[in-house]
Parts: sequence; structure tokens; C-alpha cells
Amino acid sequence: MKETNLAVLTGSHDLTGSQACAEGGLSAGCRFLGYYPIFPSFDIVERFAERFSDVKGVLIQMEDEISALAAVLGASWTGKKAMTVTSGPGFAQMAEHIGLGVMLETPCVIVDVQRDGTSEGSPSAPGGGDIMMARWGSHGDYEVIALSPNSPQEMFDMTVKAFSLSEKYRTPVILITDTYVSNLNEAVHIPDAKDIQIHTRKYYKGKREDYLPFQYDAKDLVPPMVDVGKGYRFHVTGLTHDERGYPVMDEKCQEWNVHRLVQKIRIFAEDIVDFEEEQTDDADVIVVSYGAVSRDVIHAVHQVREEGIRAGSLRIKTIWPFPEKKITQLAKKATHLIVPENNFGQICLEVERCARGRAETHYLYHASSRIGQSDDIVKLIKKVMKK
Amino acid sequence: MDPIIEIFKKGVESSQCDQKDICMVTDIAYHPEVTDYLGMDLFHTSRGRAIPFATGMKLANPRLKLAVFIGDLATLGGNHFVHAGRRNMDIHVICINHYHYKKVGGEYAPGVFPRVPLSPYGSFDEPLNIPHLARSCGAVYVARWTLLHANQLSHAIAESLRKTGFSVVDVISNEPDILDFYFQHSEIKNGEDTLNVKIVPDGKIIVGQFVDRERPNFIDSYNEQMTKVLGDKFVKIEV
Repeated sequence: MKETNLAVLTGSHDLTGSQACAEGGLSAGCRFLGYYPIFPSFDIVERFAERFSDVKGVLIQMEDEISALAAVLGASWTGKKAMTVTSGPGFAQMAEHIGLGVMLETPCVIVDVQRDGTSEGSPSAPGGGDIMMARWGSHGDYEVIALSPNSPQEMFDMTVKAFSLSEKYRTPVILITDTYVSNLNEAVHIPDAKDIQIHTRKYYKGKREDYLPFQYDAKDLVPPMVDVGKGYRFHVTGLTHDERGYPVMDEKCQEWNVHRLVQKIRIFAEDIVDFEEEQTDDADVIVVSYGAVSRDVIHAVHQVREEGIRAGSLRIKTIWPFPEKKITQLAKKATHLIVPENNFGQICLEVERCARGRAETHYLYHASSRIGQSDDIVKLIKKVMKK
Repeated sequence: MDPIIEIFKKGVESSQCDQKDICMVTDIAYHPEVTDYLGMDLFHTSRGRAIPFATGMKLANPRLKLAVFIGDLATLGGNHFVHAGRRNMDIHVICINHYHYKKVGGEYAPGVFPRVPLSPYGSFDEPLNIPHLARSCGAVYVARWTLLHANQLSHAIAESLRKTGFSVVDVISNEPDILDFYFQHSEIKNGEDTLNVKIVPDGKIIVGQFVDRERPNFIDSYNEQMTKVLGDKFVKIEV
């Protein structure tokens, strides 16, 4: 059987979120997994390990998460699609190389199965506190893409999408999930290989001697790539660099370099942003949610609708870039925006910012122990609607 | 061009490895034109992390030969060095062991005692014996030379590139203008036990080739174990 046929297990399966994530990676063409074991990301590694020989993949347990992501970046430059999986404390270690990945414009996927923090936190409890870290974790200015699935099916779909986006925009993409979704067992449909849309990195096609590693297309601001060891004699560095990849320490180059890294995501943010709306057209109150918590929101909205409250739901699938325009637009229509989060208010402030005072924003702490219940969301909806 | 780059070029040429297959991975900045001078790609990664970056590259494309230049391995990259040695990862480390971090200036490095007082009060830390660390971790080739010993150094680099496994060349490389100091203070002792090559104040800098041995490298062990468990289903990583 061909490698692609073995990689894509077309059909319906009963999978956990973790297994679906590993299958998503394999279906997207991931052939390198570098990791350091941390609970609760084991299951993704386990599934990859069961399947890697089907697709001539390589996996390595590195000495820590710093090196796991470093190895992934190195592997990606050989032309292989590469990923790493981790959880909060490991994600903190990876911060350094998220920055290097952005600076070297290296496609790769980082899966963060959030557990309750802070620090070592509560490893088995589903966490939600890494949202802002995914955005701002590494030093310096950069834009990041982070996706937030809420079911095993989305763990599959969004892992594929994460690879696609990382290749298209030449940047690390973070799949930010939690123990709840990764442990969830549901039906997952894996499409035919030909129906899986994967964007592959743009390769340089000109003369070898003319190759400049950071000469970008004005169209998408993304420079074409070459694989290492093909005789292009190129230089890349984490230092501020010009289009030759040579370090240049001046303000002009700093702006040329970093401004583009930011702009290549910002300009195309609306193409990347993805969300799901339900009954927002006539809604007075809209619950804005993401990840595991969003599963409870749908129940709450349905329940209060039956009681005559015009409620709606906006589920954010792409946390970063943030769906700013959508929130602003909804804030013009609705009176209240409720943001239930399994953290002490990270996306809530973003929603409030984007609402620009046009709707009142309410934060709700929907603790990990409450995931699976929607009574607190119902209660707050009723309270703000004074019913 | 930096003297170490010139010596490295000679080493590469005499190793008869295809330059295109060699990739330089560094954690310190070199003049970017070394890529044209040497005819190879260069990745300047983050501080201390060149070894794991090269590890990923090697596994994803085993045809590559990774020449990893590290500047301060004993601090930031220490753990990566230890584990690459333990795995016998097929990478070639060239440790640029400055008496101090000349590019930054001021701080003292743990590799060697400072000849010049580098902090306001000098350094009192015990220096790290890099060849001994390399041997203890499982390196298959370990040598140390100063910049004075340019021929031996390029020969050691060539030998190192010809090995398959974790090889380390410790380069005592301060400013080239102190070659006379090396002449006065170094002593060649090939085959010396690495326990005895620690650099101590007022002692001789022991240089030479200390280790040359064979051990199964990571890719061999990986192939062997996976074949044992998975049988024909496993497709070996071809070097």
C-alpha cells in the first residue's frame, strides 16, 4: 500500500482527541515528532509511535522541551513536516524556540494540551491558562497562529489545518487544547486523502546562485524556502537580518525584518480567522467561548432560548489571530457579551477591547471542574438579562 | 576570515566529505559570508541550542553531516551536549573554548580559568574539563588543540568529520595574538587520560587526541531496536 494511503486512515473511527490529533498530523504529512514526555500529552505520542513506521516517520524523545522544539525546527528545514506535543510546563520551555521558529520562518506545529497551572499545577485537570502565553510567550514582537478545537473531530481537522497554515505562512502554529478534549472519545471521520487540503510550503525555483533566503513575494510577504544541504549555501540567523539572511543591526533592518513577520499574519488575519456562530442574528446576549468550555455554551444557549431569552453563541476556533472584526460587529447588535473561561480572564479582556464599549462584557470563571455543566452560564445569562 | 573558519575549511577539504552535505549549525554568530567561503549552509540558532537543532536535522535527513560550532556549551547547552553524547548522535561538535567571551566581553566562561580578570573580582569557579565531559558522555572522538596547532586542529576536524557518532574537538581559541602564550603554555600529550587534561591556573594546557573509539550511533541503535520489535514493517533510516 502507498505511504499516503497508510497515512490517511479514511473512514469513521472511535478516537480520543489525542489519537485524532496524531492521525491529523500523519494525514497532513507530518513525518517527524520531537517531544519530551509530559502529562497529559502522552497519548498523542503513543498514537504516533504506533503508526510512525507505516509512514516512514521518525520520532525522538529529546532531553527537554527546549531541545524538542529545536529538533523540530531543524527537521523542518530538511523539508519534512514536523511537530511537537507538550503541556504547560513544557510549553513554557518552548517559548524560546517559538521565537526562533518565527524569526527563521520555519513551518512546524506545536500542540499544547493545557493542564491547570500555574507552574506544575494540576497535571490531570484540564487547564485553560496558556491562552495569552501562546500569544506572547516568546520575547520580541511577533504574530502567532493558534487554533482551539473542542472535539476529537476538530482535533483531527485542526491539526491538518495547523500544518497547512504553518506551511502557507511559514510560521509555527500552535494547537491549543486541553485534557478534556484530548481525553474525549467520539466518532471521528477521516476523509479520503485526496479530500484533505494541505498547503505545502512554497519552494524557490530560481537559480541557485541567486537565492536569497528572505526575499519575499510582495503578494503574501512569505519568502520561498529551500531544503538544507541542496547546495544553496544560505545563511539564516535568529539575529535581525536582511533578505540575504545576513545580520544587520540597524533600525531600518529591524523594521524591515520584524514588521514583515508581523504583517504577513496581520494583513491576512481575516483569511485565517475561523469561528462558528449560532443564533446571533437576533441575540441580545452572546456568549463568546472557545475550546472545551464552548461545548457547555451550546447547551446553555438552547436552554435559555426555550425560556424566551434571545441568546446566541460565538465560538472562536482561531484564537490567534483574534476575530476582532466579528466581535466588534456583534457588539453593535447585542447588549451583553458573556465570556466563560477556564482561566481568570484572558480572552475576556480581548473581547472587551474589541467590543469598544458598544456591549457590556461579562467574565465568567468556568473552572475545569465545571466543564460538562452549563448551569453557571445559564445563571449569568439570566442575571444580565434580569430574568 | 576568522582563523578557526580557515582551519575548519582545511579540515573539511582533507576529510574529503562533500561540502554540500555539510551543514554548519552554530549558537554564536559568524561572518555570514562563511557560507560562500565554505560552500555550505549555516544556521545560527539560539544561544546554546545548536546541538538539538542539529539533532533534528540529522534524523530528518541522515545524509547531512552536521558541524556544530558552540561557544558556551558548558552553560546553556550543557544538557544537550550530555545527551547527544549519551545517544552517540552523529554530529561533530567544535567547541570554541574562549578564555572569555570575546564577542561580549567581560563575563567569564566556565570552560577555562580566565587569564584576564573578567569579572571585577576575577573568576573563582572550578573550570570544566570539556574533553573529560565528552568522553564520559560517550563521545567517540575527542581532541583538543589550540589555535597555535593549526595543522593538528584541521587534521582533528577532518578525523572528526570522518567518524560516525558524537565527536568533539575542543578548540582553545582566544585572540590569535596570544599564540606565543600557547607556545609557552601548551603541551602535546596524545592519548592522555582525559581526567588529566583539566586546565588549571599556572598549569600546562594539555592538547592532543584523547579518544578515538567505536560505539553504535543513535541511528544504528534506532534501526536495530525498531527492526527487532517491528520486523519487516519498519523501514530503516538510511544514512
